[in-house]
Amino acid sequence: MLRVSDLALGYGREPVVEGVSLEVSEGRFVSLVGPSGSGKTSILRAVNGLLTPRAGHIELNGGAETLGFLFQDDALLPWRTARENVALGLRIRKLPKSKAHAEADAWLTRLGLEGLGERFPHELSGGQRKRVAIAQILALKPKLLLMDEPFAALDAIVRTRITQELLNWVEREHLSVLLVTHDLEEALTVSDTVYLLSQGPRARVQSSYEVSIPRPRDIIASRRHPSFAPLLEQLWKDLSDVVGSPQVEATR
Amino acid sequence: MKAYVEKLWVRRLVSLLVLAALWEVLARLGIINPFYAPAPSEILRVVFSLFAEGTILGHLQATFSAALAGLAIGLALGIVLGFAAALIPLLADILEPIMMLLNAIPRVILAPLFVIWLGIELPSKIALAVVLVAVLIFFAVYSGIRDVNQLLVDRVRTLGGGRLVLLREVYIPSVTAWVLGSLKVAVGFAFTGAVVGEFVAATRGLGYLLQFAQSTYNAALTMGLIFLIMAFVLVLFMGAEAVERRLLRWRYRGADQDAGRQLNHSLKGRS
Repeated sequence: MLRVSDLALGYGREPVVEGVSLEVSEGRFVSLVGPSGSGKTSILRAVNGLLTPRAGHIELNGGAETLGFLFQDDALLPWRTARENVALGLRIRKLPKSKAHAEADAWLTRLGLEGLGERFPHELSGGQRKRVAIAQILALKPKLLLMDEPFAALDAIVRTRITQELLNWVEREHLSVLLVTHDLEEALTVSDTVYLLSQGPRARVQSSYEVSIPRPRDIIASRRHPSFAPLLEQLWKDLSDVVGSPQVEATR
Repeated sequence: MKAYVEKLWVRRLVSLLVLAALWEVLARLGIINPFYAPAPSEILRVVFSLFAEGTILGHLQATFSAALAGLAIGLALGIVLGFAAALIPLLADILEPIMMLLNAIPRVILAPLFVIWLGIELPSKIALAVVLVAVLIFFAVYSGIRDVNQLLVDRVRTLGGGRLVLLREVYIPSVTAWVLGSLKVAVGFAFTGAVVGEFVAATRGLGYLLQFAQSTYNAALTMGLIFLIMAFVLVLFMGAEAVERRLLRWRYRGADQDAGRQLNHSLKGRS
């Protein structure tokens, strides 16, 4: 689905990542973890075309139309209603307004937001706004989801619930996912593969981990799987080695 | 009764009436010299007679024509130049220092120059109002585009939107919010331009009448005209606010303090 080879990225004269290679196969859930400044978000932006690579290759099956990007912030247009926000991508793809709005309403209903289509983003709770943002992306029927700590700003209960719902959807639709997160436990509960990036600048893939917890997964029950604790311990240890201190900010 | 007292506008109106009553009493008792500050009833009588005799209508027409034409042209010019400067860096290099200079000086000092260039009739008053409004709106648009939330730009781009979609979905709504936020100030500026222009040199208009009242030491007429101009600007100010609330209903509907904070975050936040 996605193959990144020897990728180098930077801002101005500052290099961020160098020689990064990773792969997201069809239907696989892959996470990127690493210290702050290791270029996790920059890699997602490069895959999505928002950042031009200095070197390396990004191969994507199906082109940019197969991508869906879920930002850390909900990034909804404040002057558009929930329905109009969800319909935005469909309208950009030339779907007539009435059809786009009907489709948007169907997605809002699927995500538990029935009857809220006329509300503006500031009239919705944080969790509801996040669901609108998810609906906006899923309405475009992406094959590969790029997610940049999408639920970091939500409280624990809402975060757990939305993560589980999205995971269920991803598993049911066999979507591929590349998730950036600081949360090692989250990475292990949802992913098939976790890539650990080294400390930036010039960060690279330090190591990768295969998670053998069977699917479909329950993100609470997954933490009790026999392989979970040893993997988390290993990941913790490796991340601490990367940062050079046990006082890492990578856990919640 | 208590519910009425708790309303802000009732408290403001009562405060004004108490102040006017106090002024009236002090003027009638001779504690305040009516030559400098005539009683409110005398001011009202003068204003009423201006309307009753119909002498003010021509002056009102002149001032309103200059102010509203200046407002309309100033808005259009400010928006066009602001967009152009934000989108064309070369133009920004030329326009920004000129606008900054015009913004830094009290722009009403240009009034005599406009009289020399355009004469003492309507065009010189419109020109002053245009300069006052256009500089304000230019910076509202220019800053609005430069400070547009990059996250929203990225959002639209990742959904497949090109330049036209970005303009329609992000830049124009974002700039509209900035411009409408400045509209109320622009209304005041347009009237300032018209009245000051008339004050400097004119044959009619509220500013001309004001200059006449001052030259004849007619405090009642001077104060009456000042209150009249304030009342008209207030009415237009309320009209501008109504337009703002209509066009920015996404900001005001169900808004509370938390929503305001979220809005600021949405408009100005960075990822």
